[in-house]
Amino acid sequence: MKQVVLAVLFMVTPALAPLAIAQVTPDTPNPVGGNADAIEAGHALFGKMNCAGCHSYDLTGGMGPDLTDASWLYGGKPGEIFHTIAEGTPRGMPAWKDKLTSDQIWQLVSYIQSKKAN
Amino acid sequence: MTVRTIFLGAVILLTTPGLVATTAAPADKSFTRATANLAPNDPAGQWTRQARDYANTRYSPLTQINKKNVGRLRIAWSFSDGQMYGHEGAPLVVGDTMYVVTPYPNIAYALDLSKAGAPIKWVFQPNPDPRSIGEACCDKVLRGWAYADGKLIYNLLDDHTVAVDAQTGKEVWRVLLDDVSKGPTMTQAAFVVGDKVFVGSSGGELGTNGWFQALDVQDGHTIWKAFTNGPDAGALIGPDFKPFYPWMKGKDLGVSTWPGEMWKQGASAPWGWVSYDPDLNEIYYGTSNPGPRVPSQRPGLNLWSSAVFARDADTGQAKWAYQFTPHDEWDYDGVNENVLIDIPWKGAQRKVMVHFNRNGFAYTIDRTTGEVLVAKPFGLENWAKEVDLKTGMPVVNDAAHPVVEKKVENICPPDIGVKNWNPSAFSPRTGLLYAGVFNSCMDLTNHVVQYIPGATYDGMEMQRHAGPGGNWGEFIAWDPVQGKRVWSIKENLYVWSGAVVTGSDLVFYGTMDGWFRAVDARTGKVLWSQKLGSGITAAPMTFLGPDKRQYVAVYAGVGGGAGVIRREKGFMPGGNTLYVFSVDGSGIGTGNSQLISQAGAAAPVSVPPAAAHN
Repeated sequence: MKQVVLAVLFMVTPALAPLAIAQVTPDTPNPVGGNADAIEAGHALFGKMNCAGCHSYDLTGGMGPDLTDASWLYGGKPGEIFHTIAEGTPRGMPAWKDKLTSDQIWQLVSYIQSKKAN
Repeated sequence: MTVRTIFLGAVILLTTPGLVATTAAPADKSFTRATANLAPNDPAGQWTRQARDYANTRYSPLTQINKKNVGRLRIAWSFSDGQMYGHEGAPLVVGDTMYVVTPYPNIAYALDLSKAGAPIKWVFQPNPDPRSIGEACCDKVLRGWAYADGKLIYNLLDDHTVAVDAQTGKEVWRVLLDDVSKGPTMTQAAFVVGDKVFVGSSGGELGTNGWFQALDVQDGHTIWKAFTNGPDAGALIGPDFKPFYPWMKGKDLGVSTWPGEMWKQGASAPWGWVSYDPDLNEIYYGTSNPGPRVPSQRPGLNLWSSAVFARDADTGQAKWAYQFTPHDEWDYDGVNENVLIDIPWKGAQRKVMVHFNRNGFAYTIDRTTGEVLVAKPFGLENWAKEVDLKTGMPVVNDAAHPVVEKKVENICPPDIGVKNWNPSAFSPRTGLLYAGVFNSCMDLTNHVVQYIPGATYDGMEMQRHAGPGGNWGEFIAWDPVQGKRVWSIKENLYVWSGAVVTGSDLVFYGTMDGWFRAVDARTGKVLWSQKLGSGITAAPMTFLGPDKRQYVAVYAGVGGGAGVIRREKGFMPGGNTLYVFSVDGSGIGTGNSQLISQAGAAAPVSVPPAAAHN
């Protein structure tokens, strides 16, 4: 039984292994989209990395844009949100690719996806 | 008396605050006998600096518009600048030209007042770095601009100060003063005295290291620079420094009142107003909240945050300081305007400053020593029981301390205060100050934060709600000697506009739901109101045009910190229109003269919209 589980893991792991940050395209699906653990981890990161200071603790924005509405300056698809977090924006959103791993960025995307309108 | 008149009388008593004024003053007498030095005593019709005078009174001696004709104010002309961030500054009028500067991207316009409709004379586009958009905490604003020595001088959001030739609109100099990628921005209104431009940094929520400096009007080079926190040497604290209260005396308190090296990210940014006393040759300005906003992370007084400094204008050496909110736990700041007036006090005249602090206390402080003479609540606050005048320390209410990861309910005021940067006005005729104020509280949950350069360094999660009465705002008249209100007008939303008061005892202010009002300075009776195209969070001003006619001007473009209640009913969309009013809307080129100016033009031809592009 144990061997079976390992075999299954071996088979699926390559598909789940996160792409390097530079390989993520706007159409890359979130490997942990909708995953409750990832959403909770993203929630924690949202506070820890001071995201809430700009986007507020309820994600409705303030200093930075609202993340719960249907308006996305830099695209609202998971891969686009990933890219915005990783690379930052010309309008002052910091780039986080040197401070967060690809896994952590996807967790943040999961958390944002869980709150956004569409 | 009929039932109807009794009813009307009751309504008037209830709604006209002037009738419940506690201090009666005859038509031409001062309520307090407070006076002000109106230096540099510009010609009455000009408005060449944001607060009109060094003392920051925003008092205009003009009297053409008066209580009899103010009801006939109409729009003479208007001007839209196309930028949608919050508009906060007052236009300047120098000679026949009006100068306005937009919020980010900080475009300057010179408008020719001598021609019909005040056409654009020149435009200056400084193209500030767009990264600054993401670093400015409270909208991408500019609180004002300065005119001096033939130049228009102002700050750019990306940490430059720029000087533009006032005749041609060509850049004269531009200096870089900080690194926007690390968090600091510049939103402050540059203030000029003689050959110096005084500017300060913004970024109370960004882990910045706040500073204030004097630049040379000629080329922008730094004459002196004072950090707020850190060692005395960098803060220009030396032998001349004589704070009134003992707890502010000692060596390097800007270091020792912080844990470790946290003062380096302690913000305390001087983003507010500057005033100047020409007799003492001293400038006065306040500093912002300490960073991070979570107080449990920075035990200590956190000097010199949420304080006011008096400094020698030439050397920058500190003369005294006073910390309004020691170890600020609620983001109350100390940057609001210091209005310099002289008051009768226990049989003698005292040179004082009046300061409406965000923390809800209005302070009347001896500006020669830093001694607090009066500190009384001017609106709803419950964080402190009082300010102890013996020590200068507030007596903090135990229930108001924030707790990490626990919601503390109903702390009044919230972070944005009982009044924010929106400048008050002082009339030497009435001896009163006039200010837009807030009536609100917060439920506060603190979260521990780490410092990440360029990101916010904040940690306050808040739900703000209106105070008793349900009205978010008020406009008040304040007696700075007795420390009490004389009258007030309730408004639905925060009153976050500046004020101007005139020689005919008219006070002008605007509301966030778009009403621009003229009020009797003695009674608080509203004499005129005009609904504008957006909420008003800018400072109004008044001037004489080249036609010797008096005008009143204000921007309608709601934004800035006022955005914290943007989801409240009645909050208007943003805007960018300057409205200029005169009696009957008269002005150069209006009425008959406008017809004359068009006499040579071809008869208008009606062109269908679809054909217009052919």
